[in-house]
Amino acid sequence: MATVRKSQPASAALDLLRSPSLPVLLILCAVAIGVAALLPLVQSSDLTATNGNIQRLERDSADWRARLHEMELDVARMSSLERVEKEARERLSMAPPTETHYISVDEPPQQESRLPSRYLPPPVEEPRAGSSLWDKLFGWIPLP
Amino acid sequence: MAKRRRGTTWRLWAVVTVIGLSGLVIAGRLTQLQIVDHDEYARQARLTHVTEEPVTGRRGAILDRNGYPLAASADSYDVLVERRAWKDGAKAAEAAQAISAVAGGDPQAMVQLVAETDVFEVTLARGLDYDQATEVRRLKARGVRLVRSSHRVYPEGNLAAQLLGFVGRDNSGLTGLEADLEAILGGRKGTVTFERDGMGNQLAFGDRKEVAPEPGSDVVLTIDRYIQRLAEKELDDAVKKHKAKGGTIIVIQPKTGEILAMASRPTFDLTKLDLSDDSKLALYRNRSVTDQYEPGSVFKLITASAALDLGLVSPDTWWYDSGVVHSGGWSIYNWDFSANGSQTVTQILSKSLNTGAAWLAEQVGPERFYEYVYRYGFGKPTGSGLSGEAPGRVRTPDNDPENWRPVDMATNSFGQGISVTPLQMATALAAIANDGRAIKPRLVREIVSARSRQATETEPGEQVISADAARTLRQMMGVVVDGIPKTYLDVQGYRVGGKTGTANIATDGGGYKPNAYIASFTGIAPLSDPALAVLVKIDEPTGVPWGTVVAAPAFDRIVEAVLPYLNVAPDQPAIVSDLQ
Repeated sequence: MATVRKSQPASAALDLLRSPSLPVLLILCAVAIGVAALLPLVQSSDLTATNGNIQRLERDSADWRARLHEMELDVARMSSLERVEKEARERLSMAPPTETHYISVDEPPQQESRLPSRYLPPPVEEPRAGSSLWDKLFGWIPLP
Repeated sequence: MAKRRRGTTWRLWAVVTVIGLSGLVIAGRLTQLQIVDHDEYARQARLTHVTEEPVTGRRGAILDRNGYPLAASADSYDVLVERRAWKDGAKAAEAAQAISAVAGGDPQAMVQLVAETDVFEVTLARGLDYDQATEVRRLKARGVRLVRSSHRVYPEGNLAAQLLGFVGRDNSGLTGLEADLEAILGGRKGTVTFERDGMGNQLAFGDRKEVAPEPGSDVVLTIDRYIQRLAEKELDDAVKKHKAKGGTIIVIQPKTGEILAMASRPTFDLTKLDLSDDSKLALYRNRSVTDQYEPGSVFKLITASAALDLGLVSPDTWWYDSGVVHSGGWSIYNWDFSANGSQTVTQILSKSLNTGAAWLAEQVGPERFYEYVYRYGFGKPTGSGLSGEAPGRVRTPDNDPENWRPVDMATNSFGQGISVTPLQMATALAAIANDGRAIKPRLVREIVSARSRQATETEPGEQVISADAARTLRQMMGVVVDGIPKTYLDVQGYRVGGKTGTANIATDGGGYKPNAYIASFTGIAPLSDPALAVLVKIDEPTGVPWGTVVAAPAFDRIVEAVLPYLNVAPDQPAIVSDLQ
């Protein structure tokens, strides 16, 4: 006599609960959730550290700029006329000239600017005549 | 029963009305807080944990014409401490001791200052340099932070103090070029907004918004530090030697209008400012443009130039000096009450005859005389761009018909009864040196920013007198110098021209100050192709008051040093040797 036995879903769930691998699965899930939760924390921490580093580096950069400006001013102080004259008189024992001698020379006077380079615009590179591809190409053609 | 029901209804409605009105008041107040004043309260709430601090860009430097800084900004640091962090007296004293060892100051006063304050933060020390700031940072003192600021530094000391002016604690210009060029030097301020913790420290992961400041542009002046220093030294020497009250020296390049030096005395110490002392306020003004004076005999150049330009006289035109000129019931005498007989126009200048100048003005006539005066730039600011520039005072038949009298023109012809500024006089002299063409004086040569470089241009004015008349007048000025004893004026290598002046000083109530004079000398060098126009003015010298004795020697030394410095070839070939 054949008997038909209807499957019991509740019993499948019960089987799973009774399965010996359930604790392992649960631990794996917990670890996965833990890792997933840790990720934004790590990212956030990393971001905070990076942000802090950027601010520190910006501060360092500003400090070095300040140091640079301070040294520029030291140079200016060292080249002040008063200091130069004091050094000339006291250290080098120099004195102002009592008479003037004029010498005519053919050299033109210095015309170039004596401004420090930081006050000058960056030099513009002039294209060299005949250096471009087209110039080289047309260079072969005997133009009048 | 009916009465009781009516009473109950009335009381009920009263209670309902009161509750309703109260509800309306509360709703209204809530509307005000939440909607009407929302922005303000939201701002206040934000301020409890968000700080907005202004960030100042680096102020531009003021440079001389060769790029040497006369005023520049140096970064500095202020030390701030948070009040609540110093509640523990022992720890606060320890921190204050450490800070004062680096930054100076009294540690006990620091602790007391923090204890007595009722604000969040208090500044303990200002103006620390980079090394000091690094030391303070290493201390890692609780509640202490450093805020970057800047202060003005003057590498050349007090050079051109009145011209440069100074800035206030907020780094804005208060006087002089610092104030006049504020828009260029000051740049644009920025802000930094950030969240902070309970200790006031910036949160590393908090919101941060920064509007970067724009640094100010550098300004290159026409001033040459060497010539400026020389002018100031000569001025100091002259003031000291003649025990004078003050003075002014201006050196201009006549062809460009560029002012190479502008010095005035008395002056102030730019590096040790005391703005609380009101008695020093008068020292801050640039007397070259703010102070008016009666120029005296140097103005005879203007009178003679008008007569020459109109072709009324030549240098050799004869005129008879009887020693007195009558004008409108007044008698005008020479400075030495002399009667010189037949004299040429050149001799009117070389002997500085008041009577001759009055005669020349009479030849020109009042209308044309004052036209020339205005064309030279008197009676109006020169347009140099310096604030507080006085226009001078020129009284003419047109602008003061009720008070002007013919004798006014006679006295004006030799520089009395007319007020000018030193810069106006120097500019008029520059016009004579520039072949008769007026030129606007200027102090700014270039404006240099990180991205661009703008050069200012020479602004020629009108032709005041013809080039021929200007050259003729210059030769007459040469004759004037030839007549000055070489003890006072003897420029080696160059032929120069000029005119002395010894003027009375007008008082506020009318009349002149007794026994007080202004000695001056205006000169051009070299005469063949003028490269310099120089004005030397000494106020109230004691003893000998004459311009020849007091002012001319300063002109001599300035010109003799500056012309070779500017590579101007000497006129006299005898002292030139060829380099083989």
